[in-house]
Amino acid sequence: MAGHDESETSGRKESEEIDVPIFSAENMQSNMKVIYYSRTFMSIIGGVIAGILGFTGLTGFVIYFLVMAITSIGLIAKTGFSIHSYFIGWSQIILDGFLGGLMSFVLFWTFAYDIVHIF
Amino acid sequence: MVTKSEEEQLNRLEAQVDNAGGGAWEYLCLVRKLKVRRPDKVLKHGLAILNDSKKRSALGTEEWTLCEQVAVAAMDCQSLDVAKDCIKVLRKRFPDSKRVGRLEGMLLEAKGLWAEAEKAYSSFLEDNPFDQVIHKRRVALAKAQGNITTAIECLNKYLDTFMADHDAWRELAEIYVSLQMYKQAAFCYEELILSQPTNPLHHLAYADVLYTIGGLENLQAAKKYYASTINLTGGKNRRALFGVCLCTSAIGQLSKGRNKEDKDSPELQSLAVAALEKDYKQRAPGKLPLLTSALKSLRVSS
Amino acid sequence: MAEDLVLDTAIRDWVLIPLSVVMVLIGVLRYFVSKLMRSAQIPDAKLVKEGQVIVRARNLRAAANFIPPKSFRARRLYYSNEENGLLYVPKGQAPNAQAQMFSDPNMAMDMMKKNLSMIIPQTLTFAWVNFFFSGFVAAKIPFPLTQRFRAMLQNGIDLSTVDVSYVSSRSWYFLNLFGLRGLFSIILGEENATDDTQRMMQMTGFGFDPTKSLGAEKDGLDIVQHDWTMPKFERRAEAVLRKLVR
Repeated sequence: MAGHDESETSGRKESEEIDVPIFSAENMQSNMKVIYYSRTFMSIIGGVIAGILGFTGLTGFVIYFLVMAITSIGLIAKTGFSIHSYFIGWSQIILDGFLGGLMSFVLFWTFAYDIVHIF
Repeated sequence: MVTKSEEEQLNRLEAQVDNAGGGAWEYLCLVRKLKVRRPDKVLKHGLAILNDSKKRSALGTEEWTLCEQVAVAAMDCQSLDVAKDCIKVLRKRFPDSKRVGRLEGMLLEAKGLWAEAEKAYSSFLEDNPFDQVIHKRRVALAKAQGNITTAIECLNKYLDTFMADHDAWRELAEIYVSLQMYKQAAFCYEELILSQPTNPLHHLAYADVLYTIGGLENLQAAKKYYASTINLTGGKNRRALFGVCLCTSAIGQLSKGRNKEDKDSPELQSLAVAALEKDYKQRAPGKLPLLTSALKSLRVSS
Repeated sequence: MAEDLVLDTAIRDWVLIPLSVVMVLIGVLRYFVSKLMRSAQIPDAKLVKEGQVIVRARNLRAAANFIPPKSFRARRLYYSNEENGLLYVPKGQAPNAQAQMFSDPNMAMDMMKKNLSMIIPQTLTFAWVNFFFSGFVAAKIPFPLTQRFRAMLQNGIDLSTVDVSYVSSRSWYFLNLFGLRGLFSIILGEENATDDTQRMMQMTGFGFDPTKSLGAEKDGLDIVQHDWTMPKFERRAEAVLRKLVR
């Protein structure tokens, strides 16, 4: 899964590890952008890979979930396992951009699959 | 705001450019992006590019951006001829551009022709009353002439419309402090804290103003803001540490007679003192006696 | 699953790939065209001010706990008192957004431009696809679908025995239309305006009404519970320093 690291570079330190949450909206937004960016990127890559390997049916969607899970883990690892200093909650890092990437995934999956296996 | 990594990158590029290592254009782009003010370097390297016809044509349309940048830098360095040439080139290319008009106004300003500059700016504002840059230029103009009250007036008018512009609030706060109008300054700093609650500098400045106003309530608030500065900077800010000490002693003096209020955080001062001593021991051992005597005088009074 | 059909490689070379390439190019082109057409209009004084008021009020709401209670109360009064507060909109005075729109031709023009830049290329490509590439199977989607999708995905083919996952070029067009959005956001940057579905949503809403958001902001501000965090900070500063000194 190349491109994994470069797609999630600009995560920034958000606030201190304190009980009153302080978030700077700007940094928050840039973090969200990074999430969307890496998700889209990974879904495209994952789609191409799934297509080339010739997965069909449910297997392909399983691959999508797998790719998203890997992305989430990558993002979490990037934050140094302290999500709360970068994001508001767990759901944000795991669920955001999940459905947005699906269409891209299907498109590239179909594309690669058709080119490699159908013709 | 310029982050630390960005500043490092800038300095690295600057050193590289200064040693003729190339990358002048990248450096200029970065200066522009970060909005830092290094007019001498910009003038030198920008002019070098502009005078080299090959490099200049390689820039394409960016040439004009560079022209503008160099013109502003030249005005900063008081090399008005260069600025004039740049503006002339730009005017030829963009005959009825407002942006060039703004530069011309700034040139008038740089020459010290205040009345003409003012006239130019007001005519721009008639065309487009929402040109934020022109509004700010007018404030700068008034300030340069020493008309502080006019500057305040202009800024207030500007902030009446663009009330989310925190840079303007900061400028106003600094002007008020310079005029010793601390109540007004405090309001401005509150506004700044609201818009950027994580910026320790605003907390620090607000605490300074509160301390200066004085009075038990304000002193206590000041101490709290010094504490929050310490919090936000991780205890690295010496001014805040000193501020805590000063506030504690002042509060002690004021509430000596009454003594009704138990101190909410008696430890803070001693911790601040310890942190200061440790810091001085590490960085400036020679000044340590000075520090201890100063702190002692504070502690005696409290 | 039915046994595999063999598709002509010419379909790949002359339908599948060109269609995708064309759609990407159109997307890029549209991005730049809409950038060009964005007219620099002089904003309305009231709108600018209201926008700024909203930003400032939102700041106040978000960071209320950072300023002393007295300052907070003064500000809240300033924003939301019933006489001349900045956020207070007298009843009945709120202008109708629709009416405002028609009175300002510039705004309608802008809306038109935006919509045209979206609709024209889409209709053109759709017509192009329909005209040239209809009547044959163009692609196979790698997952099974139910018979219900047949009418949508296989129109122009009219064979009830073909597996539903074989689709016509029109479906490929739609797949591209939605799937390429992610690609655009990567290659054109975040601010690109190719998000069609969102645009559709906005079209029905017809712009936003600043007075409404003023009122919403006022309500939000009214219910803020002010709880000054600074005293807590003092204790926290102690902890920070203790760590530092140690």
